[in-house]
Amino acid sequence: MFNSTDEVREGLNGQQYVASDEINTVVLLAEKLQKPILCEGPAGVGKTELAKAWAGATGRRLIRLQCYEGLDETKALYEWEYAKQMLYTQLLRDKLHDVLAGSQTLAQAADRIAQEEDVFFSERFLLPRPLLQAVTAGDPVLLLIDEIDRADAEFEAFLLEVLSDFQVSVPELGTKKATSIPAVMLTSNNTRELSEALKRRCLYLFIDYPSVEAELRIVKLRAPDLAPQLARQAVELVQRLRQLDLKKSPSVSETIDWARALVALNAAQLDRATLENTLTVLLKHEQDVQRAKRAISAPSAGSGGTGTAAGGAETPDIEYRNLRPRRRSE
Amino acid sequence: MEQRIVDFIAGLRAAGVRVSIAESADAFRAVDHVGVMSKHTFRSALHATLIKDARDGPTFDALFPIYFGSGGPPLLNPTGELTPAEQQMLMDALRQLAGDMRRLMEMLLQGRQPNPSELRQAGNQVGLQYANRPFQQDWFTRRMLRQLGLDQLTEALRELLEQLARQGMSEESRNKLEQAAAENAAALAEQVEQFVGENIARKATEEHHEPQEAELLERPFSSLSEAEAKALQELVRRLAAQLRSRASLRHKKGKRGVLDAKRTIRANQRYGAVPMEIYHKTRHLKPKLALICDVSTSVRYCSEFMLRLIYELQDQVSKARSFVFIGDIKDITAYFDEDRPDVAVERVLEDNQPGYYNTNLGNSLATFAHDHLDTVDHRTTLIVISDGRNNFSDPRVDLLEMLKRRARRIIWLSPEPPYLWGTGDSDMPQYVGCCDAVHEVGNLQQLADAVDKLLD
Repeated sequence: MFNSTDEVREGLNGQQYVASDEINTVVLLAEKLQKPILCEGPAGVGKTELAKAWAGATGRRLIRLQCYEGLDETKALYEWEYAKQMLYTQLLRDKLHDVLAGSQTLAQAADRIAQEEDVFFSERFLLPRPLLQAVTAGDPVLLLIDEIDRADAEFEAFLLEVLSDFQVSVPELGTKKATSIPAVMLTSNNTRELSEALKRRCLYLFIDYPSVEAELRIVKLRAPDLAPQLARQAVELVQRLRQLDLKKSPSVSETIDWARALVALNAAQLDRATLENTLTVLLKHEQDVQRAKRAISAPSAGSGGTGTAAGGAETPDIEYRNLRPRRRSE
Repeated sequence: MEQRIVDFIAGLRAAGVRVSIAESADAFRAVDHVGVMSKHTFRSALHATLIKDARDGPTFDALFPIYFGSGGPPLLNPTGELTPAEQQMLMDALRQLAGDMRRLMEMLLQGRQPNPSELRQAGNQVGLQYANRPFQQDWFTRRMLRQLGLDQLTEALRELLEQLARQGMSEESRNKLEQAAAENAAALAEQVEQFVGENIARKATEEHHEPQEAELLERPFSSLSEAEAKALQELVRRLAAQLRSRASLRHKKGKRGVLDAKRTIRANQRYGAVPMEIYHKTRHLKPKLALICDVSTSVRYCSEFMLRLIYELQDQVSKARSFVFIGDIKDITAYFDEDRPDVAVERVLEDNQPGYYNTNLGNSLATFAHDHLDTVDHRTTLIVISDGRNNFSDPRVDLLEMLKRRARRIIWLSPEPPYLWGTGDSDMPQYVGCCDAVHEVGNLQQLADAVDKLLD
């Protein structure tokens, strides 16, 4: 286990994860206070990746629960394997005959069957889903509840129960209590507001897009074959794209993909052709690609298009804003 | 330190951040674990335990240095490098200065730290005890520095140095003193700034009463100040989240509709595939909306918040077309395709400035019926947001009747209370007959209730 933020940094670095001081502190606190982390931030900044790195660094097994609309207890907690139960009943019919042989009355037969009930409601027929797996695991685990904002509000309320005392009751088997409290991490892309109650129980971590230097470190770690000079250019361009008013800003994972694409294409420098060919790796909307192309070419093309007097060439994004079509305003 | 953290949490609450008792307890436990040695770690620990919403981040960033700042850098004493004779010279020269200037010079040239009572006194003289708004910090800092005599410093310092030069202090020493004075002045300014910030924060905490949210929700649109309108815009988002979860919970309860074969088979495996429990597909009958919003001066706020709410709730609505009118109608749907809702609303309002007494609903309805009739079909809920004040032009009730026959329903939202309908140029009574429902939406709460009914 971690004892200081430095150890956290070392650990996460060992898993090829570049963490900010804030992330280190929060992970340390999650370990110490045994509280879940609620991690928010734009898509693709490495929220899920953090969970994996954390699990790797502490030697925990990662159990992942991917949330979606309509997720319910049978998919998150446990389910009886009815088909298997039916099958066994069929196969064991002869044996049941033996058990029931010699019973005089119906009540007696029922009693005998009741004695064997445990066979059918045992762990053998129980299908543990991620939440039950996390609670009953003997080894240390990390439970990752991914994109909690996609699940329904009721599921959130149900989750609250599980997270507060880490016990699950299966009516036929009794209550299962966690022997060791699992580490928990929830991620959210903030598509809807989470309940106050859930937020209260968690440590909150907001991961934003990294700074140029941090992103450069990430790119160097993940795409080591990219020439340093080119890596810097690429990261600076991505950072500039994020300043634009895009439908979907390029994420860190997309930066890495792009860096790898540049390596695969043997790009020597970021010239216009390379850029236009690979921009779709970064931007996934046609409209965004067009906007980005315009913004990138704006400074080099001088006062291209509509001649706006304001703004210098060194701030293309601002000039770009001025270029946006404006409706008549009086 | 503990008291400091308690004060800080009170300060956060005063600034509108919701911090529960459990969270403040967490903060203390977190600080126990990470200690206070590293300020950065300490800060992250408090941030992780107290701030649960990215929107509250800036408040935290603003308040943290005020409560846990170092109080500004210390003033340094440059006289150690002077010869004893020169030190004596300086002391004599300082003794000749008058009260306030002498105190200032002692701080700047001998590195004497300002004591709290001095700062408090200067603060009281500029009225710091009445300051309770964070944005006043700069202004009071400047006033306090002037009170301490910093504006006359250049002059006084020059005279002092000239005097010392006459007495034979070396030029090197004088340069040193001058440089030290400049550095110390900057340090002093920072200390004063911290002092002012701390005082304002404390004052704000003391005066803090419960967040005025409820009050704001009930405030009539007609009497909103600019600042309150801003605060309400923030609130609209939270309101939208509430409405959304209520609407989605409501959808879940539906017990009719198409059979959910997959789920039914799944659930009935336990009964040997005999369908004992039947499940239905949850039916999301999302309304299809057409909004006609009056953006003349009298209804502007109401329309603005309605547009914001509807577009925040876009996922609960299958399709929304929006129009605004003053004299004539204008399709604004395109704005919302291009921009995020909040930006789009601003642009719409910017581009449609109200004039004087030029509202004409009758004419607008005529244009709507002529150009945009395709937006209204049997599934559409037509929403009109207007006070029905037509400047005595033809109300064209016949058109609204025609629209009523086409649309699923017509809902009228009027910011005016019923007793004003029909007074002056109001044509409300005539329109009311054509509507399936008329809601009075004088404030945001009423507007939210109306939208809630809409999503029902």
